[in-house]
Amino acid sequence: MDKYKNAALKPPTPLRLFLLHARINLVTLGGGYVIVPVTASSYEKKGWMTEEEFYEIFAQAQAFPGPLALNTAILSSLKLCGFWGAFAAFWGVIIPPFLAIILVSNLMSTFGSLPAVKNFLDGAGAVVPGLVAAMIWKNAKKRKWNAPHIIETAALAVLLILFPAYSLPILLIGIGCFYAIEVICKRCSK
Amino acid sequence: MQTLLEIVVTFFKIGIISFGGGWSTVGIIKNEVVPRWVSESEFRSLIAIAQSTPGPIALNAATMIGWNHGGFLAALLATLSVVAFPVMLIAAATILSRHIKLDKLSINESLKTGSMAMMIMTLWALKPSTSDPFLIILGIGAFVIAAFTKINALWAILGAGALNAIAGPWIQGLLGSGR
Repeated sequence: MDKYKNAALKPPTPLRLFLLHARINLVTLGGGYVIVPVTASSYEKKGWMTEEEFYEIFAQAQAFPGPLALNTAILSSLKLCGFWGAFAAFWGVIIPPFLAIILVSNLMSTFGSLPAVKNFLDGAGAVVPGLVAAMIWKNAKKRKWNAPHIIETAALAVLLILFPAYSLPILLIGIGCFYAIEVICKRCSK
Repeated sequence: MQTLLEIVVTFFKIGIISFGGGWSTVGIIKNEVVPRWVSESEFRSLIAIAQSTPGPIALNAATMIGWNHGGFLAALLATLSVVAFPVMLIAAATILSRHIKLDKLSINESLKTGSMAMMIMTLWALKPSTSDPFLIILGIGAFVIAAFTKINALWAILGAGALNAIAGPWIQGLLGSGR
């Protein structure tokens, strides 16, 4: 097993998994889509898991609600090191951002009222809709569109916009219906 | 105490439906916390901060709102509530996957549809509310950078913040005198 030649030297332990995920989540800015590739290459460098194996787990992680970075960390550590590995990875993902946010919030309450800081935040906040639109654009390009997908997406988006107070039941029932439709469509086309 | 309980319940609920990564969840978070705990413009800067600090965006938003409305304990409980349901579901799925077989491809397709609709709702919820043309230009610029280049969105956020901190007052003055 050539690709695991480092494994004999430094096998994954809960402590190592905690430290690895804590380090990645301390220094990686920009959310799940940036954290996941960094984790993939760290695992491969340590000889714990190939990138292909990792992205297979990433695909599974997307089926769960919750932050993508957290889900992939838990599922991959579960595979590497069992329950305690997953437990350690969980805290590795949670703790560094938690401390960073508390630090930033404290800075905000001290300096947030300065005009320069206020202008900075207004400018930073103004790009958020642009970034969301870009995510929609990118995902729409990747998606396999067909008539049911277009109708389903439009209907669900309209319902979510019209009834913001009921997003939980709308989403759960909606996604349940979509699953049923996917399964039925597949059977019919066979 | 009541606020604490409300924060825990709210973020637990957000955790249940936080499909498809950070950006699709932002609209849901906004519906739940604006205007109860933060104002519209505070929420925008909160998301910009959450995106440019380490860690997943939903976690960061939970921590920040908890911290501002009850201190350390509220921040900790909000953070753990938002991940409580996903973590339990992963545990349940790992145990049950030996017994129940669902069609994985169909699950993925239906979740993709769901998160696309959530993102559209997020865009609607965060549609620009400003009449400042410079801020609108920054938003369009960020779209172009994030959609058509491989540059990390973080640089668009920090760059727009810096530009508006430096040039914002000057442009506002220019527009003010032009009217």
